[in-house]
Amino acid sequence: MNEQPAGSFEERSRALFQESVEGLDFATRSRLTQARSAAIEAAAASRRRPWFLRLGVLTPAAGVTAAAILGAFLWMGSPYGPHAVTVDGLSNLEDLDIVASTEEGAGDAMDMLQDDLEFYDWADKAASSEPAA
Amino acid sequence: MPRFDTLNQAWMVWDGPAPAPEEAVLEYTRELEKFLAEIERRAFRMAQVALRDPDDAMDAVQDAMLKLARNYASRPSAEWRPLFYRILENAIRDLQRRRTVRKRFMTWLPGAKEDPDNEAQDPLDSVADAAPGVPEILMQGQAMQQLEVSLRALPARQREAFMLRNFEGLDVAETASAMGCSEGSVKTHYSRAVHTLREQLGEAW
Repeated sequence: MNEQPAGSFEERSRALFQESVEGLDFATRSRLTQARSAAIEAAAASRRRPWFLRLGVLTPAAGVTAAAILGAFLWMGSPYGPHAVTVDGLSNLEDLDIVASTEEGAGDAMDMLQDDLEFYDWADKAASSEPAA
Repeated sequence: MPRFDTLNQAWMVWDGPAPAPEEAVLEYTRELEKFLAEIERRAFRMAQVALRDPDDAMDAVQDAMLKLARNYASRPSAEWRPLFYRILENAIRDLQRRRTVRKRFMTWLPGAKEDPDNEAQDPLDSVADAAPGVPEILMQGQAMQQLEVSLRALPARQREAFMLRNFEGLDVAETASAMGCSEGSVKTHYSRAVHTLREQLGEAW
């Protein structure tokens, strides 16, 4: 599959190019190493994020979805919503504020929710199988 | 099942999996680093041939490395090379466009045309000759300079095809993927490039 172009012209030009690559000065090599390190850092950081945040295409869609959920929460928490419950004068908006307060983007809040789901599932099973005294 | 009264207590006794698989990330970044280390110098030289300026070439390579790492590193490693060169070629084209715009803008500025040396200056003139007293090295240096000048004179697509096929050793399919065109186009561009280069370099080759 990896067929190489044949001919002395191609071979000579390839050899010359390779020599020029090997003759790169130390400063250039050092800058390339720094650039590589920065790229590796970026890759590791990107890899640690949830998969849906790695898809740049989905970022606007995620924003719209987050806005829709926020709107639904606001409506349900308002005096006109179907479940307008207030306790001691505090509205559900405070809980929502905690989720939506992350400045870095919706990613952190969503990340937290994703990480916690497994725990809440486990906690629910534990609580229903053997109620606390 | 353990017992707990509050959620905080539940968190303390929970022994679920760690959220970030650190080992997997390490393995993955190691593979990417190996790939970039293997490719970076050739990529830099190819960018330098196209852009002439080493700083611009470094910018293009840095940009390509970052974009590959951020956006495409999760792809199979076999796809990295054509993807990397596609990003690099786009970065080179962007820099060339920006340079053209800058040049046009500079010509509008008063006094910009009063410096004819700038226009006539060829960066290759300031490239140091190889070590004196070693004729072979001198001849090789001159031959590479001639090749670079001829490569720059080629249409961009022909130059890309020649460098990717001949310098980087990509096959026709990989080159087509890197250039975003058909395999037939790659063959045409490559064949024309070789023909033109042979004509231009003539007897010296």
